[in-house]
Amino acid sequence: MNGEAASPGWPQVVRAKLLQQRMKEAKILAVGAGGIGCELLKTLALSGFENVQVVDMDTIETSNLNRQFLFRKRHVGQSKAKVAAEAVQRFRPSCKINAMQANIKEPQYNVGWFKGFDLVLNGLDNLDARRHVNRLCLAAEVPLVESGTAAYLGQVTVHIKGTYECFECQPKATPKTYPVCTIRNTPDKPIHCIVWAKDLLFQRLFGRADVVSDLDEAAEKAEGETEGDAAAAAEQEASFFVRQTGESSFAYADRVFHRVFCFDIERVISMKDLWKTRKPPVPLRLDELRHAAAGAASTNGIHKSSSSQQATADLSACRLLGIRDSHAAWSTAQSAQVFLMATQLFLDLRSDEVGAAVFDKDDALAVEFVAAASNLRSTCYSISPLSLFDIKGMAGNIVHAIATTNAIVSGLIVAEAIKLLAGMPENCRATHLRSSVHTGRSGRERIIGPSMLEPPNPNCPVCGTAQLSLEIDTHKTTFKELLDRVVRRKLAVAQPTIQYDGFMYEEGPDLDEDEVADYAKFLGRPLHTLPAGGIKDSSVVEVSDQAQKLELSIIVTHQEEWDEEKDPEAFSLGGKLPVASADAPAEDSSVAGLSSLTGANDDDEGIEEVFEEPAFEARPNLTSKRKRSDEEQSPIEKRLKAANNLGEDCEVID
Amino acid sequence: MVEIKDPKSKKYDRQLRIWGAHGQAALESAKICLLNCGPTGSETLKNLVLGGIAGFTIVDGSKVEQQDLGNNFLLSEADLGHSKAQGVSSLLKELNDSVTGGFVETDPEQLINDQPAFFNNFSLVIATQLREATMLKLDDICRAEGVKLLAVRSYGLVATLRVSAAEHAIVETKPDNAVGDLRFHAPWKELHDFAMSFKLAEMDEIMHKHLPFAILLIQAVGHWKAGHQGKLPSGSKERTDFKALLKSWQRQIDGIPVEEENFSEAMTNASKVWSQHGIPSEVQAILEDDCMNLNSSSSTFWCLAAALKRFIEQEGQGCLPLEGTLPDMHATTDLYLQLQRVYQTKAESDVTAVETHLRAILKDNASSISSISRAEVKLFCKNARHLRLVRFRRLSEEFGISCKHNVLRQALTAEDQATNATLYILLRAVDRFYESHKHFPGTFDSPPESEIPMLKAKAGALLSEVGASPSPAWDDCLAEMCRFGAGELHCVAAIIAGMAAQEGIKLLTKQFVPQSGTLVYNAMGSTTSVFCL
Repeated sequence: MNGEAASPGWPQVVRAKLLQQRMKEAKILAVGAGGIGCELLKTLALSGFENVQVVDMDTIETSNLNRQFLFRKRHVGQSKAKVAAEAVQRFRPSCKINAMQANIKEPQYNVGWFKGFDLVLNGLDNLDARRHVNRLCLAAEVPLVESGTAAYLGQVTVHIKGTYECFECQPKATPKTYPVCTIRNTPDKPIHCIVWAKDLLFQRLFGRADVVSDLDEAAEKAEGETEGDAAAAAEQEASFFVRQTGESSFAYADRVFHRVFCFDIERVISMKDLWKTRKPPVPLRLDELRHAAAGAASTNGIHKSSSSQQATADLSACRLLGIRDSHAAWSTAQSAQVFLMATQLFLDLRSDEVGAAVFDKDDALAVEFVAAASNLRSTCYSISPLSLFDIKGMAGNIVHAIATTNAIVSGLIVAEAIKLLAGMPENCRATHLRSSVHTGRSGRERIIGPSMLEPPNPNCPVCGTAQLSLEIDTHKTTFKELLDRVVRRKLAVAQPTIQYDGFMYEEGPDLDEDEVADYAKFLGRPLHTLPAGGIKDSSVVEVSDQAQKLELSIIVTHQEEWDEEKDPEAFSLGGKLPVASADAPAEDSSVAGLSSLTGANDDDEGIEEVFEEPAFEARPNLTSKRKRSDEEQSPIEKRLKAANNLGEDCEVID
Repeated sequence: MVEIKDPKSKKYDRQLRIWGAHGQAALESAKICLLNCGPTGSETLKNLVLGGIAGFTIVDGSKVEQQDLGNNFLLSEADLGHSKAQGVSSLLKELNDSVTGGFVETDPEQLINDQPAFFNNFSLVIATQLREATMLKLDDICRAEGVKLLAVRSYGLVATLRVSAAEHAIVETKPDNAVGDLRFHAPWKELHDFAMSFKLAEMDEIMHKHLPFAILLIQAVGHWKAGHQGKLPSGSKERTDFKALLKSWQRQIDGIPVEEENFSEAMTNASKVWSQHGIPSEVQAILEDDCMNLNSSSSTFWCLAAALKRFIEQEGQGCLPLEGTLPDMHATTDLYLQLQRVYQTKAESDVTAVETHLRAILKDNASSISSISRAEVKLFCKNARHLRLVRFRRLSEEFGISCKHNVLRQALTAEDQATNATLYILLRAVDRFYESHKHFPGTFDSPPESEIPMLKAKAGALLSEVGASPSPAWDDCLAEMCRFGAGELHCVAAIIAGMAAQEGIKLLTKQFVPQSGTLVYNAMGSTTSVFCL
């Protein structure tokens, strides 16, 4: 498919007065002020947009400067959103850009806030936030233009609730994970050692003590110890890495080295079962590496001299050791030097961060520490060491990023945004930017490949038929009330599993007594006090019922004031009807209620029998690929279409 | 390896991961000339300045007017009435302090006519918003001096991009899914001996499961050849038999083969035994090129290609040098490392052989090349399978009688290209319109629609030269072309500028393969087409 059908049409409206007026007045939310964001803000301003809200939580890093052209060296450390907004406004004072340095996932950016925008344009770098924005756009019924880049590749997609696929209609690849045992005991690839150095050792030495990594916990259990033993062992292990009173940073680094590269390795070697099919590792002895390492490390520790804040952020063990080439792999002695030096520097000059540090790919010292530790571990396990440059890329999951791809993708975002404002959503396309010459099946070279946007995936757990919104008092309502009144009674879920970030609740005959008892503890708690931050405004709660093959998600809005007459139950549930997925086995009729819905897609009557009080619109969801008639268009599409008479009054503006 | 100073490597970290330190070094020695600095030109150059070129010179004779502020981000109110080239140049320098920049306040057309030598010392000339007649002259000038040329133009909702250079040789083409040659079909002696030293039947269960699939395949090939007059399996019947042979070596319990990951890897990789042994046609064409008759001024690429040819004829026995990279496979770490060493040793010795030929070749031809490092030879050998040579057509060929009209005719009737081919013809027609009327359609006082018939006449003439009839979109496109009024819309300019800078980086770093024809971007349908004319 391609975009032939889209032309002509757009050119007739692009210069029309009405469209220009609309672009001028449109309230645009730009999420992200990074690589795409900088280009996007500039292109928006120069295309005639004048009301832009930009949100980005990040601060400017040196490695941004090769493409994020609104930033200068002097801005390093400042808010991306604010500096970008100021830079564009300085050049185009007519364009009002309101900047917020914040995480878009914060609760104040709720459905109501999203409803205040005509379009949302994403220039985000992480899947988590992109999914979150997608859900809020769905709930607020605001069209979303979503984008992404990686090296020479890029893509721009348009998402309109009820008309096109939402961002999550197609499953997204999630980051690769590694077996815990491989990381802890039997690494055989550099990445295993890097993950160990970053997620385990760095966290232990410099991170928060109360964050027990999954790796820690699972591994202790994996070794066959009982629950109590595991806890005790974990505690003992953790306490070893606490710096003793009066212990010099030098002595500490020394002690840690011996522990992780000698003592722990010997302990692993003693687990004979592991080495039946593998070559056991070899411990490292610091005294053997010492002659090379001695000159570097100072026994007196390193003192904070007149170093400014900037210098502290730029701390580098490699620079102090005179190791320049970041593309060559270090010798074992060099790795040991860097390990000791980086540990000391951290303790002596960045002591205020110890206990709360988070690994960051742009933190030179943290990267050096991880590189040294992972190379030392690689040496133990006969794995080839890597260069600092390579390890940084792998540890930071660094996505290659260049100015050119961002420029193209941002331009494409604005092109789609203009089509939306011109009331021509049917002309929108998903656009994919390929790396260099792509020779298609037809043998033709293409850089940009457009494709028609797909209708929503009926089985999409996010936008599909199962998208609901719930207004409720999250302070007064207990978890049990939510389960009984909303989940069971309104949604007819028989055996609910409730999940949100960091929390899961289950019911069902397969649970043992202990689990039932554990889960029961949550029932009396008000929603906002549940674990992992609770259910609060803007929370997205996943409700599923395995027996019914039902999965749906609820976007929660906190609402304190209720009119008893109108809403005696003190909550309001909106959105489309949940429907069991088409492939659900229908034979399980013993499950109360919803199984009949499988066949009830086009039968409103049947639905009313299930729901005592149909609280929300039960509209059949038509997702076939045939062209939809006007009646079937979603409200947003209709709204957008209403603007389409622009095409006729083509007033050319000079 | 070029050593890069610390602050720079930090600034360029994200791109170094794409084109490497040597690519960055190439970029940092590039001198760029930009002709016309409207939004298309300014944005293109901006993307290159961010990447870290050595320096630029902007040529533009115009002054900044109010309307420039509306679509060019690199100009501000303070620049009103002053030289546009100066305004853009000073802001661009602010973007990257390691880039030097200058400007010439002259009309590019005048410079091309009066001072052709001006362009001699640039690595790349980026000509934006220039008409056909001017581009033809510039192409001749650049070709004569071996300067690469990039023509970029945005026109309303349409934009084009075209590279012109006599010859562009690429070693690092970086194909998406390159599969290395592992020589299963013809293992060299050391590999053969190493593989045969393992006796499957005598192995314990654990070793049996962890023998790398490469060794399994080499043993199977040896076994097969022995029973088939030294021939590899060919045809689907024999290939099935070959896989059955592998399967028969699997351990069994009660007659059922045990799951062994190395064996299933061998099955999936069995096709490597009978595929891709030969020399790819693009590489073969290079080896047979006229430039292989070397002289003292032959380039590094051609000297290396000549050395490669000798290697293939002698040590290689018809094969390219070994890449030496071993894919990940199920094996004990120890065995994997041993096998890797066998491959690496062979690759190194191939590099040495090519290097020896190269030294002789340089000497025989009294070459002016002072030195070619081993690292360069190694890079060439590693990429030998993917070498590419692009010879771009002259603009005078595309715009003249030797234009490949059949390509256009075909495109005009192809459903997915008709509109873009029509737009291409119309873009050429507006230049002819300009030659006659001294303005572009739709830019005069009269309403744009009134100029449609005049443009239609020019376009119709072009169409009959091509020998084609109008596509269904013809009349609509004509009308739109007049409405565009030769305007540069910022978002279209930004998109084509991104693509142009990307092609520029490919040319400067000599990595990846640039577009070989004229690219047409159509913002209405979000489509691109490339026409090699």
